[in-house]
Amino acid sequence: MEKLKTAIFYGADAVYIGGEAYGLRTRAGNFDYTDMQEGVDYAHAYGAKVYVATNMMTHEGDEAGAGDFFRTIRDIGVDAVIISDPALMTICASDAPGLEMHLSTQQSAVNYETLNFWKDFGLTRCVLGREVSMEEMNEIRAKTDVEIEAFIHGAMCISYSGRCTLSNHMANRDANRGGCSQSCRWHYGLFEMDEPGEHQSITEAGTEPFSMSAVDLSMIHHIPDLVNSGIDSLKIEGRMKSIHYVSTVSNVYRKAIDSYCADPENYILKQEWVDELWKVAQRELSTGFFYNEPTENEQLFGQRRKIPQYAFVGQVLEYDQDSQIAVIQQRNNFGVGDELEFYGPGMRHHQEQLHSLWDEQGKPIVRAPHALQIVRMKVTQPVKPNDMIRKRK
Amino acid sequence: MIELLATAESFEQAKHLIDCGVDTIYIGEEAYGLRLPYSFSREEQRAVIAYAHAHGRKVTVAVNAILHNEQIKTVPSYLTFLKENGVDRISVGDTGLIQLMKQPDYYIPFIYDAETIVTNHRQVDFWAKFGAVGAVAAREVPFEELQMMAKASLPIEVLVYGATCIHQSKRKLMRNYFNFIEKSEDVSRQRDLFLSEPKGDDTHYSIYEDCNGTHIFANNELNLLPYLGQLAAVNLTTWKLDGLYCSGESFVSIAKLFVEAREAIKAGLWSEALGAQLDRALRRFHPAKRGLDTGFFLLKPDQVK
Repeated sequence: MEKLKTAIFYGADAVYIGGEAYGLRTRAGNFDYTDMQEGVDYAHAYGAKVYVATNMMTHEGDEAGAGDFFRTIRDIGVDAVIISDPALMTICASDAPGLEMHLSTQQSAVNYETLNFWKDFGLTRCVLGREVSMEEMNEIRAKTDVEIEAFIHGAMCISYSGRCTLSNHMANRDANRGGCSQSCRWHYGLFEMDEPGEHQSITEAGTEPFSMSAVDLSMIHHIPDLVNSGIDSLKIEGRMKSIHYVSTVSNVYRKAIDSYCADPENYILKQEWVDELWKVAQRELSTGFFYNEPTENEQLFGQRRKIPQYAFVGQVLEYDQDSQIAVIQQRNNFGVGDELEFYGPGMRHHQEQLHSLWDEQGKPIVRAPHALQIVRMKVTQPVKPNDMIRKRK
Repeated sequence: MIELLATAESFEQAKHLIDCGVDTIYIGEEAYGLRLPYSFSREEQRAVIAYAHAHGRKVTVAVNAILHNEQIKTVPSYLTFLKENGVDRISVGDTGLIQLMKQPDYYIPFIYDAETIVTNHRQVDFWAKFGAVGAVAAREVPFEELQMMAKASLPIEVLVYGATCIHQSKRKLMRNYFNFIEKSEDVSRQRDLFLSEPKGDDTHYSIYEDCNGTHIFANNELNLLPYLGQLAAVNLTTWKLDGLYCSGESFVSIAKLFVEAREAIKAGLWSEALGAQLDRALRRFHPAKRGLDTGFFLLKPDQVK
């Protein structure tokens, strides 16, 4: 819920969330109906949309109750479901008419005829497979008239999504039903076998082990190409991420897209936007398949580059202009003397060193060590509720 | 009606398979078909179809690749070729191809084969509405669920012998790795490389690259020979033998064992003892260094989270 509100507050036009069933992120803090209603009401009040990910591939029996589920979330006002299983689509279409369906990336839709198929079936939007290049996307746009959504930032499957069951076979966890153990990111032995079955490693000891770990996607350098492609929705992956991450990434892309659309001729990518994304980056960043087929440089091998690490230390709850006192909810240990960076929607930023800190009762303190502790601090520049505070680790 | 399908790696092998009693030969070309023992030229495809038909058998051609725009443009001429040569069925894994085949000129009865994502009979019923005449069950579906999948309006094909693909990436995952460690290596299937899990030195997942990307296979080949009676009893009677990792006469010998099993079942002579006997024979022909197991077949549905 907090992530949903944060994403919208920081500029997202839509958020996608998980329900309590049929999704693919079983550990992502999914929404029950009451929460979903609150989230939908909040989003709609801001003119934003809510999509519910129901993109599991059902096994026999998993579909039980799906009709009720779709009807209920339709009546709650959910704007669309993100869906990949034709069994669930059939149920959704028959039991919850009026609930829009978006094709999930799990179907690996990578050509225009595939989009035409789903459009004919009644889907209103297709999320493309991550293997589609910019050139292919432009052609798909030209040859279809269904809405197109593409991932532009975040973690990626290294396989064709949906076509990987490493996790099923190696960890008894179903990748297509929310259990993915991310086995692709493990380190593997690589060897040949002689006839009796003896393993002969083909690399010397000490060599970087084989793995299949994709670096993350970031299209911040290519906003004009994305906007000009004419696709309808740019998607940021991040259901498992923090509000620090969600606010930062939404903020940057909102700013970049708005800047470009306002004045395409004079648009310049600002280094500070890129720097901002790196503050929450968890891996190296790349452009995926958009401009070329990913090479070894788009996989995590060897010594990892040191990504600047920032800790999310708090969120502004209130601010009083006269006294310059901000009320903060603590998210990570911080205290007097720390260099803090404040940011808010629209890429407002400032930095200052913390000099005075009080607890909720007004008693001066030196550090705020407790999770979710409410503290007061003096700030030299104005801040607003929902502004975030981070510091360098 | 039991149908026994087998892949072929040459015209010669296809002939032997037909001669020993296989019902349907499964072939294709690499540009459109996934993980085939051999990429048949058009001329060879024509020859296999002609030979099979002359002997009253069928041919299914693999057109099950994930198709990008360029392939979607070229695949119609392949469909035309296949139609002209009387192919019986094709296997399909890309929805765009199904869209194309809404045009009667291109339609060929097809088996829906999107590998990992065919896990529920309702999905199969969905594809039936768009012209599918069969579907291939994902290898990750246990027997208990397969029985329920048999309720589908189409025959469900089950792999009963051979390799299970568990990962397909468009990326050149091996070439990328070898570039990183600056080693030049052959990454084709012929190189026969394996992965082992970090905590399982004795595991051996086959891996290779081709024009469709990188493919990884389950630790052991699937072998359901001892369970054919159970499959037949619940109407799962479309059985595939995949010879990707078992070549030449060995594969034909294995196919013969399945033919023998099919005949025994048809004649009401199947028994556990016969299953065990045929299974022992199969192990003599299966490549010594490669394992066999039952995959997800015997798992309880709740053993997979």
